[in-house]
Amino acid sequence: MSTKELQVDPMNKVFAKVMKICTWAGLIVMIVFGLLYIIGINPYINVSAVAEYWGEPAASFWRKVKDVEINGYWFLSHPGFMDSLSMIGVCLLALAPLFSTVAIIPTSKKIYRIFLSILAAEFIFSIIRPIIL
Amino acid sequence: MDITVVLQWIIILFLFAFAIGIVAPISGVGGGVLFVPLATAFFPFSVDFIRGAGLIMALTSALSSAPYLIEKGLANVKIVSPLVVVSIITSITGGIVGLWLTNAFPSGEYYITIALGIVLFFIFVVMITSKRVEFPQVKEVDVFSKKLDLTGAWYEPSFKRVVRYKTTNLPLGLFCFGAVGFVAGMFGLGAGWANVPVLNLIMGAPIKVSVATSMTIITVNDAAASWVYMAKGAVLPLICIPSVIGITIGARIGAKLSARAKPLFVKYLVIGIMIFAAILDIFKGLKGLGVI
Repeated sequence: MSTKELQVDPMNKVFAKVMKICTWAGLIVMIVFGLLYIIGINPYINVSAVAEYWGEPAASFWRKVKDVEINGYWFLSHPGFMDSLSMIGVCLLALAPLFSTVAIIPTSKKIYRIFLSILAAEFIFSIIRPIIL
Repeated sequence: MDITVVLQWIIILFLFAFAIGIVAPISGVGGGVLFVPLATAFFPFSVDFIRGAGLIMALTSALSSAPYLIEKGLANVKIVSPLVVVSIITSITGGIVGLWLTNAFPSGEYYITIALGIVLFFIFVVMITSKRVEFPQVKEVDVFSKKLDLTGAWYEPSFKRVVRYKTTNLPLGLFCFGAVGFVAGMFGLGAGWANVPVLNLIMGAPIKVSVATSMTIITVNDAAASWVYMAKGAVLPLICIPSVIGITIGARIGAKLSARAKPLFVKYLVIGIMIFAAILDIFKGLKGLGVI
């Protein structure tokens, strides 16, 4: 084989393509809404309140800023705020490897299908664990 | 806190991440490994938020380069998939343990800061002592690697031909990646410093393949661990966004500069800064515990 194209496994190509799309989508959402949040547009947590307690550990920070015991995805229960929307972008980034993995399961060889299915299951568990446990 | 002071901190954080982005590719030291200990030593943020931002930074950097490396055939999903099946579990566990330590004990934050300093010393030793082998000779392939056909090929422009490779020692590789995943999740580090030597020296992957495959492994491990940090409220856009933008812009400039020259003194300077950060972190932790 002498050409560059022949060397790349189709499984790898699909994985890369899905990852690229998710990464761009995640970055755009995270940065656009994040910048709007930083300049003070419609925040869930006021910027100055964050700065007041950003030296506290996470649990203590949330108790002092919002008077809540945090265990789950706060931004999902408070959509529409700029910081929540920015976090959706972070979620898209964190979902990129899962989407890429799921996309290649149907076309991969049997042994890899098993590995990739376990991987996807572990990934999904890592996402839902804070909600169910 | 006055909003002007807050904005000043945000700008300083952006410039700090930008500077790290520039020196990281030149020195060959990962951005996350520099960001977390230095930010812990010099910024007023809790180590929880710094680790959360460090993870998202490492994730973003890896996601930005991994797809291109996969398309070139340098990163190999066949090698990645068995390794991350193990490391994803340890990475999540590391994240849970790390956040539990800082939040369950009044002095937990100081213990984590001290541990971070100690881990940095370990990283320093790994960086100084581990050699890089361009094309390791794989004489015998273990039964698992053979069964899974952990082989690959890429077009190497400098040779103007396709280079084929095979990897071995999968069981030992799995064990090492399990340990590395735990440390990465616990401290919010990218862990390329450990992934690359394991792939290159233990599993026998060529150095280019090791670097590229490590990037892909980081995407999976850090993405999984980041859910732990998000669920515990340890990812704050105010700290995360300037860091990610800063390192992304800086890394593009750094990559261009590193293509021209990689002065050795920059590597030693950065390693020196790492050691300084490690000492400061240990000092900060001991001071917080009232030991000194």
